[in-house]
Formats: sequence, C-alpha cells, structure tokens
Amino acid sequence: MKTILTTLILAAALLGGLNASAFCGFYVAKADASLFNNKSEVIMVRNGNRNVITMSSDFKGDLSEFAMVVPVPTVLAEKDIRVIERRIFDVLNDYSAPRLVNYYDNNPCGYDLRRYEDYPSMSGMAVSESLSEMDIKTVAKSSVRIEAQYDIDEYKIIILSAKESDGLQLWLKANGYKVPETARQVLEPYVRSNMKFFLVKVNLEKVKNRNSEYLRPIQIRFDHAKFMLPLRLGMANSNGSQDMIVYALTTEGRVECTNYRTVKMPTDRNIPLYVEPKFGDFYKSLFEKTYKQEGRNAVFLEYAWNVSPYNAVKCDPCVGPPPVNYDFVEAGADWITQGNFNQTIFFTRLHVRYSRDKFPSDLQFQVTPNNENFQCRYVMTYPASGSDFTCDAGQEYLVDLYNRRKKEVDELAALTGWSAANGSTYIREYNKYLTPKRRENLRNEGIPVTIQKNLPRKWFVSVALLISLTLILLVTKRPALAEN
Amino acid sequence: MHTLRNTLQWLRSDGRHFQIIAQISFLCYGVLLLGWDADWKNYLAIFSGVLLAQGLAIRFAGFPIDSLKSALITGLGLSLLMKANSPWLFLFAALMAIGMKFLTKLNGKHLWNPANFGIVIAAALSGDAWISPGQWGSSALIIFIIGTAGLAVLSNIKRLETGVAFLITFAALEYVRTVLYLGWEHDVFLLKLTNGSLWLFSFFMITDPMTTPNHRKLRVTWAIAVGVVSFYMANFHFINGAPFWTLFFFTPFTPLLDRLTPRIQSFVWRKATSSQKHIQHQSI
Repeated sequence: MKTILTTLILAAALLGGLNASAFCGFYVAKADASLFNNKSEVIMVRNGNRNVITMSSDFKGDLSEFAMVVPVPTVLAEKDIRVIERRIFDVLNDYSAPRLVNYYDNNPCGYDLRRYEDYPSMSGMAVSESLSEMDIKTVAKSSVRIEAQYDIDEYKIIILSAKESDGLQLWLKANGYKVPETARQVLEPYVRSNMKFFLVKVNLEKVKNRNSEYLRPIQIRFDHAKFMLPLRLGMANSNGSQDMIVYALTTEGRVECTNYRTVKMPTDRNIPLYVEPKFGDFYKSLFEKTYKQEGRNAVFLEYAWNVSPYNAVKCDPCVGPPPVNYDFVEAGADWITQGNFNQTIFFTRLHVRYSRDKFPSDLQFQVTPNNENFQCRYVMTYPASGSDFTCDAGQEYLVDLYNRRKKEVDELAALTGWSAANGSTYIREYNKYLTPKRRENLRNEGIPVTIQKNLPRKWFVSVALLISLTLILLVTKRPALAEN
Repeated sequence: MHTLRNTLQWLRSDGRHFQIIAQISFLCYGVLLLGWDADWKNYLAIFSGVLLAQGLAIRFAGFPIDSLKSALITGLGLSLLMKANSPWLFLFAALMAIGMKFLTKLNGKHLWNPANFGIVIAAALSGDAWISPGQWGSSALIIFIIGTAGLAVLSNIKRLETGVAFLITFAALEYVRTVLYLGWEHDVFLLKLTNGSLWLFSFFMITDPMTTPNHRKLRVTWAIAVGVVSFYMANFHFINGAPFWTLFFFTPFTPLLDRLTPRIQSFVWRKATSSQKHIQHQSI
C-alpha cells in the first residue's frame, strides 16, 4: 500500500552550529581566554605506511594570534606540506553527513499527488577578523633544533625537534607561542617518543594579499607505521569535551580505532515529520544520548562506503554530488588517477567526542579489510495526499498510519530522550478521516506512548557479578569432588 | 539441592565446561551490550565448521566423543576474536583451526593454538579477515576479571601461571615505557592494560595446555618471551593485536622445549580414571 514516490535529502548542518576552532594540536594565543577548541575536522589518508593528514581550522579571532603546534613523527620536506582549499572538507562532509530521507505514501483511494521539495545543504564557515604582523624569532637553545623552516602560501611553518620538554617550552615562549600550562606535561611524552613539532603561524602579508576570509587547511604527508592522531595536545586549551570529525580514505576498507571502541550510530530509524525543521538538533541530541550510553569513551562511525570510481552506488540515497577523483586526490588519496576506474577508495567518517578524563591516550587506528557500507539515515514518511480516504483500503491505511506514527514518536523518544508528550496530536492528525466506528476502536486502544529504555550496562554487570560469585561460592564450599 | 550438586559435580568434572560458560558470557556481553555486528551466518559457519571437522576426526581418527567440547571452545574463540567480510572465511578459519590439530599432532599436542591458527591463516591468506583489538573497550574489564577468577577457582587451572607471567611481563614493560620513560600519566597506562582483547588473550589463549611447554619453569620463561616480543612488536613496530601474531610464531617451539624435559608427560584432558588433579581448562 505504501509506495515510495520520491526521495529527498536534507544534509545535516551539524558542523555549522558549533562555535569552535581546533586542530589536533593546540592553539596558543595572547588572548588565551577566548580560545576554546571544541570541534575540529581532519582528513586522514592511509595507504600502506603513507599518511596524509589534512587539518581544517575554523579559528575565529585575530590571525596574528593564530599559532598551532602539532606533533608529527618525522621531519617533513617542503613538498610534503600543502595548503588546500576548505572546499574539500565541505564536499566530504556533505557527502557523508547523517541524512534525513523523505518518503511519500500513495493515497490508496486513488489520489496521487507527487511533491518535490528541495532542501538546501548547510555548512558552517569560519570567518577571520583582523590581521597583524607576526615574526618568528629564533632563540638558540641547546635542547631545541629547528629542523626546517618553510613559507608555504599564507603560513609560516617551522619543524622543531627537541631533546627535552622544558627547553622546548622556553623556545616556544620566546617565539610568541603561549603554551598553556596543561600542555606542558603533555609535551614531554612526545619529546621522549622522538616526535617532531610542526609549528604553524600565519604569514599576515600573504593573507592580506589573498583577501582570505578564513584559514585554509594544511595538509602534511609522511611515511610512518604509526597511524594515530595526537589528541592530547588539543585538550590543552579546552574546557570539557571537544568534537572531532575524521574523514578517512584508504585503499582497503574501513578505518577503526584500536584503543577505544568504534561504535555504529543508530541508523535507519523512522522518525516523526515534525523533526524535519530541527533535524540538526535531533542529531545533536541523538549523538549526545548515544555518547553517554556508550560510556563517553567510544568513537562513533557515521559513514563507511566504498566510493571507488567503479562502484556506481555510493550512497542510498546521496546527500549531494559525490566527490570526484580530483577531490580525493586533493584530499591526499594520490593513488587515484584520472581515467583509471579500477582503484579502490574507501571512505570512513568517524565522530569522536573526547575529554581528558575519558580519552587519556591519543587515538590509534587500523585499516581493516571491512568493506561493509554504513550510513546514518533517518527516515520520514509523509502521509498520502488528499482528504478522501473513504474506501476500505483508505480506512485501513489510516489505522496503519496511526500505528506507524505511534512507533515513530516512541522511536524519537528512545533515540534522543525528547519528550513524547507533544507527539499525541501528530499521532491523531489523520484520525478525523476515519469513520466514527473505527475512530472509536482506536480510542479504546489508547495511546500507549512509552519511552523504551535500554537495560543499563551496570545492571548487567551487577547481575553477572552476583551470579558468578554465587557459583564460585557454591562450588568452593565443598572439597574436591570425586568424579562420577 | 541434589540436582544442583550433581550439576556442579558434572560441571567440575571437566575444566572445559566452565570455559565454555565463560566464553558464551563474553560473547553475549559483546553482542548484547557492546553492540557488535552479530550475523548469524558467520556464527553458523564457525560452529558448523568446527563441529564438522571434529566430528570427522572422531569418526575416522578415533578421537573421543568429548573432544567436541574442545571444538566448541575453538568455535567460541573464533567468534570472540575474528572479524571477516564473508561467512565463507569463517568456515575456512574453523576448518583450518580444527584441521591443523590433526595434521600437526606431536606427542598428543599440536603446533598451534587452533583459534589463533585459524585467525592468522585466514587473515594472512585472504587479506579479508582481521582482529579488532579495540572492540571490548576498557569497561569490559570487570567481566573478564569475573570470568577469569571464576575459571581459576572453578577449574583449577594449572596453566594459569602462563597467562599471569605473560600479563605481568607485558604490563611491566608497558609501565616502564609509558609511565617511567615517556612520562605519560597513569591512566594512559591503565587504558592499555584494561583492553579486553589483552585479557582474553592472557587467560583464554596463551594458557592452552596443548600448545604450552610441559615443564612449569619452561612454560613461564616461554610466556615471558611472548610478553617481551609482543611488547616490542606493539610499541616499536606498531602491530595491532601484537600478542596474537606473536603467539603464532611461538607455539611451534613448544615441542622443542618439551624435548628438553622428556620425563614430563604431555597434558591430557581427561583420563579414564581421571580425578580432580587432571581437570584443566583449555584455551581457545
């Protein structure tokens, strides 16, 4: 009876609403108070031991105050550092974002009005303000060595190696990088691990020339067996938790975290129509609830798909035009060449909300051969159009609709924790077209809007503990038993 | 009360019973509470594979009927550890795991731990199977402690020292490197140590009496060596799931080590006149 007429998609504006700025490194600035890094985006490409990491900043503030420190495993050559367009992040984000899908019912009594609507895709954009001169002084410190120094587009880049963290900290201070106190303790392990420090400041003259509105992402490329993101420095100047979206591209399959759990977000759920205008809020609540439910220390999978040129269907349905080969190459997937349709490229999107207490260690990853596709998809089904539901099939349809909407409201409450109370009008909306007798039957059933609660994990643990202890006690009470 | 006692008596008559219970609990925990992808086709492939292979061995090679319990343990081990893209790979791993036991039989023991062999062979040959070291998270630790403690008390594991020696070596080296040398805080070290995969390995895989040396001191030394190499591979070569790969290269040395101590008999699950002292647990 229910027919899919058309499918429209609303790209989630998840990244737009959050006020934030961060890389996986930390920002240091003169006005330390206003700098909170609550959200960052990273493109991570892995091919064998080759890593290409692109970090996007939506830094807001005086560009002369922008300074960033990222630990990297090797000294990078100038050709291994690029500045790319922010557009690539938007393309990857739009394509992999959690999506809302609309379906339309057919009127079983014969009316069939197709409706086409279009939803604009929204995405956030960072705006920079004033610019000022920045200069890099070199303080000769025996424990710090400048391994390389490059001017690349609008950035001034220095790569440092250090023998001990105190010297490094002095150097950073003398050169205008205000290191937060909390970052200091974290510098030490990176120095000891023989990591290098990738320092970035803005070359203000060039920014003025370009009349740039925001900082463009920096891309670095290096060969190393380590496949990780240094989170800990990023926690240095942040209050509470921060969000990070990772877009990972590999030649093989899904990327998963090896030192924290990688958990799929709930997907393919039917939700009520009234969620549509607040889909962004819906997903935020859903994420918040899932994050808490999983113990606040999991990494969430939001999208995983084989996006290879040979693979025609890359999403079901697609949020926007798929990234083209050029976009993947720009993102660092350099094994993709124009015109060659045989290469594999697998796209994973991970969402991490991390805080110091739940994520003590940097994120470590592995590329798995897992090529199962996954997307976050939430379904809205519009009722049939028209007001003539007098035929028998129409009446049955209305009863089905009523029951379906009950389920949708319950689902919404279970997913987001939103109150199910305001769903009752929505559930009954089409009851007016029912014959009085059928309406009476439905009324007798009532509206059992219940919030389904998942069994809390601690209950399971407690029960398991009790049963085990009882078993152990019972058995050990008796000395060794002779066998039958 | 009598029925309960009889049941318990039966349960205690073979260490593998408790191991099966512990592993089933872990699997339920993973599937129900950690939300693992649980495709029944994969489990069907694993269990039909191990039981079929073991069944053939019972029918044609004269193995005791209760060796099906060992096959079940191997099947549960594969279910807990292995991930793959296709049910056929699970079937392949299951057949390889059990098949290896009969093909590499030496003095009643075999060269590899069956589940370990199945996973490593499937992953290395097909490139479509893998291990997810992060799948347990660190909150699963309590479940493992219960399982392990229960197992230790209930089934009188004699190979427990193998797991403990491995875990202590691995933990000590991690502590020295992570906290003392690199200067990370203690919770960074704890996160590494509370990984469920590490515990599963320590108490349900490396403890397999069929692939560990017969002599106790050799066994402990051997476990320490596995710990050192696993630590090295994990920290300096960034191998994910390093203990599983390391074990694969260490168990074949067991027959050589056993030659050094020819007077000590190999482990036997149940003897005809078995009493409590023979009751052991197997590993996955």
